Amino acid sequence: MKRLFIKLTIIMTVALLVFIPANNLVKHSRSYNINDDILAFKKDPHPVDIINLGASHSMYGYYFKPTGLTHLDLALPSQTIQYDFKLLKEYGKYLKPDGVVLISISQITFANAEIENVENYYEILDHSQIEPFRLTDYYRYLYFPGTQSESFTSALSSEMKKLKWDSHQPWANDGKNYAARKYDYVEDLYRAAEEENYFEQNLEHLKELLEYCQENGYQAVLTMEPVHQTYETYFDEAKMDKFVFQYLDTLETDVPFLNHMNDPRFADNKDYFIDSDHLNSDGRKKYSWIIYEELKELGYF
Amino acid sequence: MTFISIEFLLFFAVIVFTYYSIPHRWRWILLLAASYSFYASLNSYFVLLLLASTAFSYVTGIIIEKQETKKQKKRVMLAGICVLLFILGWFKYFNFVNDSVRAIAIYMNWNYSVPYQEIVMPIAISFYTFQAVSYLVDIYKGKLKAERHYGYFSIYFAFFPQLVAGPIERAKKLLPQFKVEQTLKYENLSYGMKRIAWGFFKKTLIADRLAPIVASVYNSPDATGSEIVLATILFSIQLYADFSALSDIAIGCARILGIKLTENFKQPHFAVSIGDFWNRWHITLSTWLRDYIFIPLSKGKKKRSEIYLVIVITFLVSGIWHGAAWTFVLWGLIHGFYRVFGDHTKHVRGKMASFTRLDQSPSLHKWVKITITFLLVCFSRVFFRSDSVAEAFENAKLFLTPHSWRPAGMIDALELFSLLDLMIFMFFFVIVQLFHYIERKNTSTWDWLSQRPAFTRYAVYVLIVVSVLIFGATGQGFVYGGF
Repeated sequence: MKRLFIKLTIIMTVALLVFIPANNLVKHSRSYNINDDILAFKKDPHPVDIINLGASHSMYGYYFKPTGLTHLDLALPSQTIQYDFKLLKEYGKYLKPDGVVLISISQITFANAEIENVENYYEILDHSQIEPFRLTDYYRYLYFPGTQSESFTSALSSEMKKLKWDSHQPWANDGKNYAARKYDYVEDLYRAAEEENYFEQNLEHLKELLEYCQENGYQAVLTMEPVHQTYETYFDEAKMDKFVFQYLDTLETDVPFLNHMNDPRFADNKDYFIDSDHLNSDGRKKYSWIIYEELKELGYF
Repeated sequence: MTFISIEFLLFFAVIVFTYYSIPHRWRWILLLAASYSFYASLNSYFVLLLLASTAFSYVTGIIIEKQETKKQKKRVMLAGICVLLFILGWFKYFNFVNDSVRAIAIYMNWNYSVPYQEIVMPIAISFYTFQAVSYLVDIYKGKLKAERHYGYFSIYFAFFPQLVAGPIERAKKLLPQFKVEQTLKYENLSYGMKRIAWGFFKKTLIADRLAPIVASVYNSPDATGSEIVLATILFSIQLYADFSALSDIAIGCARILGIKLTENFKQPHFAVSIGDFWNRWHITLSTWLRDYIFIPLSKGKKKRSEIYLVIVITFLVSGIWHGAAWTFVLWGLIHGFYRVFGDHTKHVRGKMASFTRLDQSPSLHKWVKITITFLLVCFSRVFFRSDSVAEAFENAKLFLTPHSWRPAGMIDALELFSLLDLMIFMFFFVIVQLFHYIERKNTSTWDWLSQRPAFTRYAVYVLIVVSVLIFGATGQGFVYGGF
C-alpha cells in the first residue's frame, strides 16, 4: 500500500506541476476576466450617469468616456434579460438621479434563457441570485479554472488567434461565413426556445425590468447596436421580425427605442467592426457619441 | 451525482475507505446503503420501484425453487417474468405502444381514445430488469440456487458501479463475490484506478468532445450529406467511447472493492463481421440475448429459415430494449438482416475473396472486412441516432448517396470543428488508437505498460490525469444511461 501511496503522490505532484501553468493561462485570459470592469466597480463604486445591459453586442457597443458621462457596463456575453434584471437590481443603486439605463435588444434576447457561463456572475452577483449555484463549481472557478475545458480552450484560442480555418476567420468571404454561422446559432436557439416557450418568459422579464426602472426613477431606453451589412443579409427584416419584433411589438410602453441595427454610418464600414456584429474600439466610440447626442435630444442629461 | 463528477469520486473514496475499515459481515449493509444512495441521487422517486422489483424477484426466486415439478417451476418463472416485463413495459413502452396504436387507429378510422400518459422512465430499469429475468430463468433451469440472504440479493440488483448501465451481470457470477471477504489488495486498487482514469479519459476527451458536433448535425434541418456521413462516423466513435468509458468506470470501481465484473467491450470497431461485432460490443447484453432469447427460441429448430427468423427476433428484442421508438426497432431489424445476410452469403463472399485474390493477402483481407463491418455498423447508427423514422430515412438516404462521400465535401464537413478543437480531438483519438493497437498486439495495455521503464509509465499516467483535468469536457450524460 505504501508503494501505491508513493506512486499516487508522484503522479499527482507532477500532474499538479504541469497543471499550474495551464491554470494560470486561464486565470489571465480575457474570457476569465470578462467581468473585470464590473468587479473593479464593485470594489470602488461611484455614482454613474449611464448603465448598459445586454449581451456581447452591448458589451462591445459602448464607451462614453469621451462624452464626459460616467458609465457602468453591465453587459456580458450571452446575457439573458433575467440576468440583466438581476445585475440592475444589484448595481442600479449607483445610478445618479435621472440616470439612463440602456437595455440592449439583440437577435437572441427573446430566445435566450440559459446562461452559458454562469461563473461570470459568481463574483459580481449575490450567490442567492445565481441559478444553478454549486459550491464545488464556485471554488473550482476561483482556484482551478484550468479544469474547465471550455475556459482552457477559450484561453488557448485567444493565445493562438490565427489557428482557425480560413473560412472561420471573421471576415472570410466578406464576413458572410461568420454571419451564416451566427444565423445558424440563433436559429438553433430559437428552435429550442420554441420547445421550451422561452419567449413569453423573456418578454415577462423585460416588462418587469422596465417596471423596475420606472419604480426606481431610472430612465430606461431600448437600444439595438449597429451591425455590418453582411450580417443584415442573414438577419433581414423578416428574420428580425421573427426573432425580435413580433415580441417587442407586444410591449405596450413609451420607452424610447434607438434602433441602430441598420445604421448606414456603420453598415458598410468594416473599420468599425471586429466581426460583422461586434463593434471595435473606433466603432463603439463613434456609436456612443451618437447615442449620447440622441439621448440629449430626447431630453436626458 | 453522475460518474463523471468530483462528488462521485469523493463518494466512492469514502465508500472504499469504510468498506475496508469495517468487518466483512457489515459490508453488505454499506454496499446496499451506498447503492441506494447513489440511485436516489439520480432518481430518488424510483428507489421504491427498485425496492419493489428486488423484493418481488427475491420472493419469486424462492417460490420457483420450492416448486416440485419442472412444469410448476416454469409456470412461476413465467409469471414472475411477466410481472417484471409488465413493469418495464409500463414505464418504458406504454406511450410507444399507445402512440403506435393511435396512429394505426387514425389510419384505419377506428375510435381510440387512450390518452398520452406523462410517464417518466426510471433510470436503469432495462438493466436491472434483465438481471432479474436472468436470475429467475437460471433458478428455473437449476443453474443457480435462490439466494436466501436478502441483503446480498439486493446488492446484486442494485450494485452501484454497474447499476446505471451495466455490465449486465449474472447472479451466479456476482453473488458469490459479495460473500467472499475481500481484502485490500494493491493489484485491485492499482488496476481499478487505472480503469477509472481511462474511463474518464475516453468519456471526457473523446465522447463529450464529439457529442456537441454530432448533435449540431443531427439537430440541423439542413445538414449536408457529407456532414451526415462525418457526424455518423463520429457518433460511432462517440458512442463507443461513451459506453465503454461507463463500463471501464464500473469495472474499475468494482475491482477496487474486490469484485470482478464482466468485460463489456473488445474493440468492437475492429470486428471483421457483424457476428464478430456483437461478440465485441455490449458483450453482456449480447450474451444475455443469446442465452435467454436466441437459444430458447431456436430450440428444436432445424431449418435454416427458422433459425434466421429467430435471429431477426433476437435483434428485434435488442432494438426494443435500447429504446421505445421505431428508430430502435429499425436499428435492431437492420442488424438482424445484416446477421442473416452475412450467414447466408458466407460461401459466396468466400468465393469472391478467392476470385479477387483478396484471401491471398490476409492482412488486407482483414482490413477490408473491418472497414466494411464498420461502415455497416455506422449505417445502422443513422437509425440509432435520428430522432424520428422520417428523419432516419432522410439521413440514411444522404448517408448512402455517393456524392456525400466526396473527399472535398468531407474535408469541408471537418469545419464543424474549430481547428483547435479538431487538433485536440485528433491528439486524444490517436492516443486511444495507440492504446487499442497495443492491446491488439498484447493481451492488456496495462500489463504492457507495467513492463516499461518507470519514466514511461509515470509519463502516461500523468498525461491521462492532466488531459482529463485540462481538456476533459463534462456535462453530457451517458447515452446508455438513458436506457
